[in-house]
Amino acid sequence: MLSITKTLRTAAAASVLFAGQAMAGPYDDYAGMTLVVNFPAHPHYDAVRKILPEFTKETGIEVEVDQLPYLKMRERQTLELAQDEGDYDLIAYVVFSKADYVYADQLENLARYFMNPKLADPSYDADDLIDGYVYNIGFAGGNKGYLQGKTGSLFGIPYGSETSVLGYRKDIFEKHGLEVPETYEQMLDIACKIPELEPGMGGLSSRAASGHHASHAFLLHLAPMGGRVFDDSWTPIVNNEAGVKAANALKTIVDCGPEGAASFGFGEALGSFLAGDTAMFLDTTVVAGQINDPKKSKVVGKVGWAMHPMDVRRGSQTGGFGIGIPKNAENKEAAFLLMQWLTSKAGDKLVAMAGGNPSRFSTHADADVNAKFPHMATFGEALKHADPDWRPIIPVWGKINADLGTTLSKVLTEDLDIQEALDGVASRAKVVMEEAGYYTWQ
Amino acid sequence: MSATTFNRLTPYLFLAPALVIMVLALLYPLGYMVYGSFRDWDPSQALGESEFTGLANYVTLWNDPNFRESVAVTLKFAVSVVSIEMLIGVGLALLLDRNLRGMSVLRTLFILPMMIAPVVVGLVWRYMYHPTVGIFNNTLKSIGLEPVDWLGQHALLSVIIADIWQWTPFIFILSLAALQSLPRSALEAARIDGATGWQQIIHIKLPLMMPVLIVTGLLRLIDAFKVLEVILVMTEGGPGLSTEILALRISRTATEFRELGVAAAMSNYLLILLMLLTLLMLFYNRWQEYRAAKAKRAIEEAV
Repeated sequence: MLSITKTLRTAAAASVLFAGQAMAGPYDDYAGMTLVVNFPAHPHYDAVRKILPEFTKETGIEVEVDQLPYLKMRERQTLELAQDEGDYDLIAYVVFSKADYVYADQLENLARYFMNPKLADPSYDADDLIDGYVYNIGFAGGNKGYLQGKTGSLFGIPYGSETSVLGYRKDIFEKHGLEVPETYEQMLDIACKIPELEPGMGGLSSRAASGHHASHAFLLHLAPMGGRVFDDSWTPIVNNEAGVKAANALKTIVDCGPEGAASFGFGEALGSFLAGDTAMFLDTTVVAGQINDPKKSKVVGKVGWAMHPMDVRRGSQTGGFGIGIPKNAENKEAAFLLMQWLTSKAGDKLVAMAGGNPSRFSTHADADVNAKFPHMATFGEALKHADPDWRPIIPVWGKINADLGTTLSKVLTEDLDIQEALDGVASRAKVVMEEAGYYTWQ
Repeated sequence: MSATTFNRLTPYLFLAPALVIMVLALLYPLGYMVYGSFRDWDPSQALGESEFTGLANYVTLWNDPNFRESVAVTLKFAVSVVSIEMLIGVGLALLLDRNLRGMSVLRTLFILPMMIAPVVVGLVWRYMYHPTVGIFNNTLKSIGLEPVDWLGQHALLSVIIADIWQWTPFIFILSLAALQSLPRSALEAARIDGATGWQQIIHIKLPLMMPVLIVTGLLRLIDAFKVLEVILVMTEGGPGLSTEILALRISRTATEFRELGVAAAMSNYLLILLMLLTLLMLFYNRWQEYRAAKAKRAIEEAV
């Protein structure tokens, strides 16, 4: 009797064990592990921190977050990624870093992870990820070296990405019977009417401070106006008709903007809109949360959202952050699982509900997300026109960008002639490109 | 080893740890920077992997109008702030060199600005200069004057004012210490001879304070050449390049442009400039000592 009982017990135990093996979850091998991740101090990543306990609960994998101001984060990563053994398993990187990290062979190509049936979730639905974001932030090696294309490959996934939309004061527009601008011509016209209609109020608040602020604002207008910084053979064309038109648009915006607009960085431009000193704000989608926060904003409930106005074409910006696995990471597979979980449909919705920027079309169309954040539908529409090539992501861009930004600042503050200024930028950019070897094959 | 040799070597043995620390902590990073300045060095590379380019970085900089503009801004900024700070700092010290009630509290209050972290100073001044919510423009508007575009049209002046506010106390505190250590006998003799307050300042106090003032001025000058955070926070070097001092350009070259070799070459130019200034001050001090010794010898011979 005893022997029968023992046999039954053994059989039961064995069946549980085999059943357990057959049903082993993808996370079982990694449960108990601690991943170290490096994220920026950014509203999206603040939201990410809120949902990470959910990941640990579901997978048993702990996550330790090293959150740094984004410039500091970039410096830290530059040092960390150059080591033989790095401290980070997963990093968030700002879009500019893609060129540097991929070129220096410091980021894992994600193909071998998505090919691994034990790691890749079949329900991931990568097609639902926003195209412009993926090509801008995740892809490298394709067209022009930094875009999608037959020779390209995926090195990161957009996470905390942004595009541009137009925020406008519904109350002011209604009061003066103004139509929400669809085109640049209408927007510039309204921007300069506002100071007359509402004395003391600026038309549109924009970044304009020397350096990357002025450059960012200019490039925001350049793409819809049909311009590019380089043509297909890397000749700088920033000084062509579209470039001059974009610089003129920026100057008009600053001239009709709030007091001191020429020295506004992103913080001041947003601050001016939040304080009710301007009627419009054309910049990143990441500000939506702050505009609706009564602690930070005097315009809660008064702001409507519209698509980035078009000129000769539609083209909103793409930027922000992506996440990737460093080549020198210790726990690459577990890091991939975290990356996949965060950017999955469920993860993207979770982070959106916590106040982050979704990276998927489906999240922008989700009923729950739209009920909580009604602007999300407009943002989703803007994303269909997100332009991954609105600025070049090449290793020497930092230098050209700085020159463009300081020269434009001289246009805004010292009345330097626009054509002359952009001709100077183009000729200096050509020297930089020549030195970097971009004309070797010509 | 004989006892004599051992005895002769003993002092050097005692000096050795300090020497090793100095070589490791001071000369190694300096050597690394000098070595790096001759290479095309990207932050993603180890220094050894980078390509040797000889003097190319130095030549490039010499022909770079932005670098030259940055040097000009640095000189303008450093000379302005140090001159004005010396004037106000020494003036304040001369005014407050007396036994007033509550003087120690006053002195502590005076030196508060230099105890504040530079980033905080930058942020505070940036908001005070804010075109619409800043205290300066609000005050100007409240008394019926036109607001000023502080960080736009007058950016360099604005950062100079902020630096003067923060660092005048440094000059003040050292000048006051120098004043209080002056030989009272000389001042008493001047008073007995009927010297007025101004005459005492010009002919007794300032000449006697001069060695301390020179060192103080030099220290401030060196520091003014390297100031970074306040300007970075206030203007980020703009508008245009109007406030981009050399330290800020070095930082941008290393982090934004990712050209560590060029940044190292720029740092070496700055180092050379500062070393020249230091040598100038040393020679001046030597010359002063020589003059004093000569005067002393002349008096002794006359006696």
